[in-house]
Amino acid sequence: MRVALSGITVRFGALTAVDNASLAIEPGEIHAVVGENGAGKTTLMNVLFGLVEPEAGTISLDGEEMHWASPQEAIRHGLGMVHQHFMLQESMTVLENVVLCAEPVGRFGFIDFAAARRRLAEVADEHGIAMELDRPVGRLSVGERQVVEVLKMLYREAEVLILDEPTSVLTPLEKDRLFATLRSFRSAGKAIVLITHKLDEVMELADRVSVMRAGRLVRSGPLSATSKEEIARGIIGGELPPARQRTARAPGKEVLAVRDLKVAGRGGTVGPLSLSVCAGEIVGIAGVSGNGQAELIQAITGLASLLSGEIVLCGRPIGHLDVEDRRLIGMSYIPEDRQRMGLALGATVSENANAGRDERAAYTRGPFLNRAAMAGFARQLIERYRIRVGGPAALASTMSGGNKQKLVVGRELARDTPLVIAENPTWGVDIGAIDFIHGELMRMRDEGHAVLLVSTELDEVLALSDRILVMYSGAFAGEVAGAEADRERIGGMMTSRAAAALPEVA
Amino acid sequence: MNGMREGTMAREAISWAVALAWIAAVLFILMALVGAPFGDALAAFLQNAFGGRRFSYLMATLSRTALIAGMAVSVMLSFRAGLFNIGGEGQLVAGGLVAALAALLLPGPPLFVLTASILAAMLAGAGWALLAGVMQLYVGVPLLVGSLLLNYPIRYIASYIVAHPFRDVQSGMVQSHLVPQATWLPYFPGTRLDIGLLFIVAASVFAVVYSRTTVHGYHARMNGLSPAFARTVGLPVRKLTLQTLAMSGAIAGLVGAIAVFGIHHRYIDGMLVQPLYAWTGIIAVLLVGMIPWAVPLSGLFFAAIQTGAAGMERSAGVPKEIALVMQAVIILFVASRVSGALVASSERKAGAADDA
Repeated sequence: MRVALSGITVRFGALTAVDNASLAIEPGEIHAVVGENGAGKTTLMNVLFGLVEPEAGTISLDGEEMHWASPQEAIRHGLGMVHQHFMLQESMTVLENVVLCAEPVGRFGFIDFAAARRRLAEVADEHGIAMELDRPVGRLSVGERQVVEVLKMLYREAEVLILDEPTSVLTPLEKDRLFATLRSFRSAGKAIVLITHKLDEVMELADRVSVMRAGRLVRSGPLSATSKEEIARGIIGGELPPARQRTARAPGKEVLAVRDLKVAGRGGTVGPLSLSVCAGEIVGIAGVSGNGQAELIQAITGLASLLSGEIVLCGRPIGHLDVEDRRLIGMSYIPEDRQRMGLALGATVSENANAGRDERAAYTRGPFLNRAAMAGFARQLIERYRIRVGGPAALASTMSGGNKQKLVVGRELARDTPLVIAENPTWGVDIGAIDFIHGELMRMRDEGHAVLLVSTELDEVLALSDRILVMYSGAFAGEVAGAEADRERIGGMMTSRAAAALPEVA
Repeated sequence: MNGMREGTMAREAISWAVALAWIAAVLFILMALVGAPFGDALAAFLQNAFGGRRFSYLMATLSRTALIAGMAVSVMLSFRAGLFNIGGEGQLVAGGLVAALAALLLPGPPLFVLTASILAAMLAGAGWALLAGVMQLYVGVPLLVGSLLLNYPIRYIASYIVAHPFRDVQSGMVQSHLVPQATWLPYFPGTRLDIGLLFIVAASVFAVVYSRTTVHGYHARMNGLSPAFARTVGLPVRKLTLQTLAMSGAIAGLVGAIAVFGIHHRYIDGMLVQPLYAWTGIIAVLLVGMIPWAVPLSGLFFAAIQTGAAGMERSAGVPKEIALVMQAVIILFVASRVSGALVASSERKAGAADDA
C-alpha cells in the first residue's frame, strides 16, 4: 500500500508542530523519519494514524483520499503504530492483548481464542517470532512487550507499520533482532516507518530518509543519495558540537557507599546491590530500563524504603533518613520524570526554582515568602543555565522539554552538593540541551563532586562515565572501566530474555 | 496577540450570554408548567435573595453566606494542598457540638466563655480532621475515604449527646439547652445579622494571605500541584499534610461555633447537617477552582440562590420542589460555564508547552 501525506499542517495553540509537510511512503521500503525532539516527527505520524487531526493537508492511500474519524478507522485500513509508550494491559496475557479490540467472534458471541491462537501462531511463524502467548504482559521485559506490540500489528494485517523510537528500550542484541524482523516485513512488501533520532540506525536499516526540523520537512530522499553528516546537519540546522575532551583525574575519597541493598520492586526484590562513588568521578549505570535502576535510585534518594542493607553518604548512614535530611547531608537529584517529579508544571519558574532550596533564610522573611528574592534566584538560574523562558513568573508548563530539564538540572546543581544523582538526564531533550547538560555534569566531576549517572542511552553512559556498572534483572551484571568499555561487551551484559523472542540475525 | 485576547473575551461574553439565555429559557418552561407568572417569580427571587423590609432577606442571605463561605475556605485550604478532605461536615459538627457543650459547662465571665468555647470548637474541628490525616499516613486509609466516613460517627455522637445527656427535655425537641444569653454574638447595629460574618471575613483574609504570602502556603500548593515533585525536592510532606488538615478542620470548627453562638444559640440535632453547608462549600470551591479570593464570592452566590429560591416559593407560589429544580438548573449552567472557562484557560496554557 502506498501512502501519501501532502501539505500537512498541525497547530497546538500558538505552536506550529507540523508545517506544510508532504511525504510519500512506499511499500517494500523502510522509511526513516529523523529529527530532534519536538521537530514534529511523532505529530506527523499521529496525523497519519488518526490520533491528531491536521489543520490542513490530505492523507491518501493508494491514491484515494482518506479522512480518519479515529485511529480505529486507520487500523481498519491497514495502518499500525507502535507508540513510544506501549499501549498494553499489564494484567492480561499476550494473546488477550493482541486480540483486544479485534476479537474473533465465535458461535454465541463468545471470543474464539482458539482461532486467534492459530492465526497468531501463523503470522509469528512467518516472521520467525517466538513468544509464549499465555504469559501476562506485566511479567514481560520491556523488550518483550515491544514484540507484543509488533505482533498486534501483524495480527491486524497492517500493511503500513509505524514504529516510534522503537530501540530506546532495547539492548543492542534485541535491537539487531528487531531490525531483522523489520527487514523480513520489508521483503513481505509492507511499508515501514521508523521514527528515530539515532543516525546509526538510519544508516543501518533505512531505504529512504526524511529529516524534520522545527515542524518542517527539510529533506526527503533515498538514503543512498545522502550521507550521515548531511543528515546530521539537516537535523540541527548547522554543524555538530565538537566531541568532548575529558581530563584524567584520580578519584578522591568515597562519597556514596551502598552495601547489600535490597529494595522491593515491581517484579520482585531488587538486589542485593553494592556500589561506591568517589569524589571526582562519574559512575554510570547502564542497562535497559526496568531492570531495577529506578528502585535503586529511589532507595538512595529516600523515595522508597529499603528492605535491608546500608547506604552511607559522606560518612553518615542515611538509610533511615527522609528525603529532606538526605538532601541536606549532601545529595542532589535530577529525576528522570521532569514532568511529575522534577517540576510542578502548574507553578511558576520561580516557585519551581526555590522549592527544596537549602538556605531558607535567603528567600523568606519569617513565615513569609520574599518573592523578590525568589525571582532573583530564578533569574540567576535562567541566566547561568541559559534557560529560554518568559521569566521567573512564567509557568513551568510553558517551557520546552529541553528548557524544563535545564531548570531541573540548574536547580539541583546550584546546590553544589558532594553527590549528584542524574537519572536519564537528557531523556527527550534536543541536541543543544544534551550537550549543555553533559558539559555541566563533566564540570561537576572536574570540580570534585561525585556523580552517579543512570541512563538507558548507552552512548551517554559511554561518553561520560569513569566507571560503568551494568544492571540486569535487579542486579549488577558487571563493572567496566570507562576507558576500556566497548559497546559489544556492555551489550552482552545487558542481555535479556527478549532477545530469544525474535529470530537470530542471519 | 492583543487581537487574540479581545477575541477570547468576546467569545467568553457570548458564552455567558448563551448560558444566561438557557437559564432563562429553562426557568420559563418550568414556571409555565406550574403556572407561575414569570415576572413575579423573578421579582420574588431577587427580593428574597437581596431585599426585604430593611434588607432583612439580604441579612438572611449574608448569614447563610457566612457558613457556606466559611466551609468553602476550609475546603479550599485542603484542596489546594492536594488533600481531598471531604469530611468538612464532621469537622463542622465537631466544632458546633463542642462549642455548645463548652458554653454550657464552662464557668466564668461571658467573654471568656465565648472565647474559650470558640477555641475549643476550632480544636475539635482540627482534631477530627487530623484523625483522617493520621488514618491516611499511618494506617493507609485514603483521605477521601477516611474523611468522608468520619462524618458519620461524629454526627451520631452529637445526636446522642443532645438526645440524652444534654437534652433540653422541656422543649420537646432533640436539642441542647440554650447557651447563656450573654455569650450570644451581638447583631450588627440596626440589623438582625450577627457578627459571625466578621469571623468568616477574617478567616477568608487569613486564607488569602496564607495562600499567597507564606512559606507554608507555598509548600502546600507545590504538594497540591504535584505530590511527587514535593516529595522529590524534600518538602516535609507528612508535616504539611497534618498541619494543613488541622488548619482546614479548625476553620470548619469555627463555622460550627458561629452557627451556635450567632444563629441557633444551642445545638439542635441536624442543624449543621441538613442544610448541607459542608457540601455546598465543596461545590462553591469546585466552581471557582483554587482561586482564594473568589471562594467567598462563590459562597455568596450559593447562599443567594438558596434564599432566593426559598423566597420564590413563599411569595410567588412556586412549589418548593420546582424552586429546588430551578436552583439546581442555575447552579448547573453557571458551574458548567465557569469550569468550562477554567478548562479552556488551562488548555491554552498546556498548548503553549511542547513536551511530547
